[in-house]
Amino acid sequence: MRRRLEQIEIPGERDASERAWRVVRSAFAEYEPRPPARRSIGLAAGTAAAAVVALVVVAVSPAGPALVRTVRNAVGSEHAERALVALPSSGRLLVDSGAGSWIVNADGSKRLLGRYASSSWSPHGLFEIVAHGHELAAVDPKGSVRWSIEREGAVRDPRWSPDGYRVAYQAGSSLRVVAGDGTGDRLLAANVAAVSPEWQPGSAHALAYVTRTGAVRIVNTDTGASVAYWRGRNRPLRLVWSADGKLLLSLGHRTIDVRTSGLARVESLLLRDTTIVAAAWAPQGDRYALIGYQPAHDRSIAVIRPLHGAPRNVFVGTGRIDGVNWSPNARWLLLAWRTADQWVFARTSGARRIHAVASISSQFHSRAFPRLAGWCC
Amino acid sequence: MRGAQAGHASDVEALFRAYWRPALRAAFLVVHDAAAAEDIAQEAFLAAIRRLHLFDRRRPFGPWLHRIVVNRAIDWTRTRQLRAETALVDTGVWADERDVSDETLAALARLTPEHRAVIVLRHLLGYSPGEIAELLDLPRGTVNSRLRRGLDTLKETVLRET
Repeated sequence: MRRRLEQIEIPGERDASERAWRVVRSAFAEYEPRPPARRSIGLAAGTAAAAVVALVVVAVSPAGPALVRTVRNAVGSEHAERALVALPSSGRLLVDSGAGSWIVNADGSKRLLGRYASSSWSPHGLFEIVAHGHELAAVDPKGSVRWSIEREGAVRDPRWSPDGYRVAYQAGSSLRVVAGDGTGDRLLAANVAAVSPEWQPGSAHALAYVTRTGAVRIVNTDTGASVAYWRGRNRPLRLVWSADGKLLLSLGHRTIDVRTSGLARVESLLLRDTTIVAAAWAPQGDRYALIGYQPAHDRSIAVIRPLHGAPRNVFVGTGRIDGVNWSPNARWLLLAWRTADQWVFARTSGARRIHAVASISSQFHSRAFPRLAGWCC
Repeated sequence: MRGAQAGHASDVEALFRAYWRPALRAAFLVVHDAAAAEDIAQEAFLAAIRRLHLFDRRRPFGPWLHRIVVNRAIDWTRTRQLRAETALVDTGVWADERDVSDETLAALARLTPEHRAVIVLRHLLGYSPGEIAELLDLPRGTVNSRLRRGLDTLKETVLRET
């Protein structure tokens, strides 16, 4: 019996061993020897039992029939408004266009912050962190620069920590962290993948990023300590934290991995015939919006996928949808439909409603279709 | 273990090399998913590293590690059984990559995770029924009955060739 059990082939066993050893070695590098505790045998057994970490229980019911409302005209919604006169919900949008970074207010008014290439909100929308060329800058909603720094490599993907005290960004191939007031800039990792780093909500400066070799690492940026590490078979192209910081989406070309904050597996999905484009967790709860592109049909599909319920299709459009953002109250999804040069606002619950706005590029004085950088409070 | 607690990397590597393969195999034989087994075994080792300074050197390392591995593997399998795979979009198909082609593995798959666990602990890792009862916090009679039931199920496919 033992021989039979030992002969069973485990796919990728050798690679798994080396991966695991690297992780264990890395974890041990942070171990500080202490005098061993004197403990009773009973207490030691209790400790071992307590070390068993419960997996997140995720019950996903089978998919029901597709609930699709397809708004598929030639290209674009024929009912699209000609101009963005108001957002369907409260909050403000941050948009990166060829002309620079913009703030769009709930009444539809827009303000150009400056000629920046990428931007993101500070935690409560009081400031924006922006990047252009070699410059990283913090600006207020009127576009006034509060501080800026310059670095050698091209600066991109700035992200403000949830408490506002840190900013992570990439400069060339390196990952750096600077204090929220622009001081104390320092290198965090010298060689990382070109994937946006993402702060864990609710944590004390825990940052998830993708290493050059395609592993996901979570580090405490203040101490440099590795909090968690995971390397899967598929290279992550994007990381997305849930609003409560308990779940992390790791998106590959056709794969989705839902992981806990310790990077233990919750769910892994492989998508056939569909490329994953973007995803965003809802502001509350365990559901996320997902955009997939199906080349065979040249169409993009937007769905909301709860971890504990059936997925629901909310929109299908010809060509490419590039981005998705939730409204702060979670009642609307904003879909950036590049092929139609439209934004589509889709209700996320209740009666199905769609608002489309046309000519988005020209409204932001841009030849390229603008990128959604966030819908804030 | 003494060297590992003192911070010697070579001793940690020796521990890893000695215990990794059985831990991975035990997890795999319960969950039947290579990626999940890797996660489970890796997490068990990381838990060991995190609690290295608390470990009582008078106790053997193996049972402590195997208890974590097997219990986590059972939990993972139960969780998996609660989930049905879903079609995310109307025409797209989502699926997990799974392949149970080995005859013995297929026979194990017919058992519940609890039965697989006692079979793995007994026949792969070599624990006695009494030790298994302690590891899984079960009455010894329950362990014996699970062993009997598991072996009965496996008999047709495994014992026939041993």
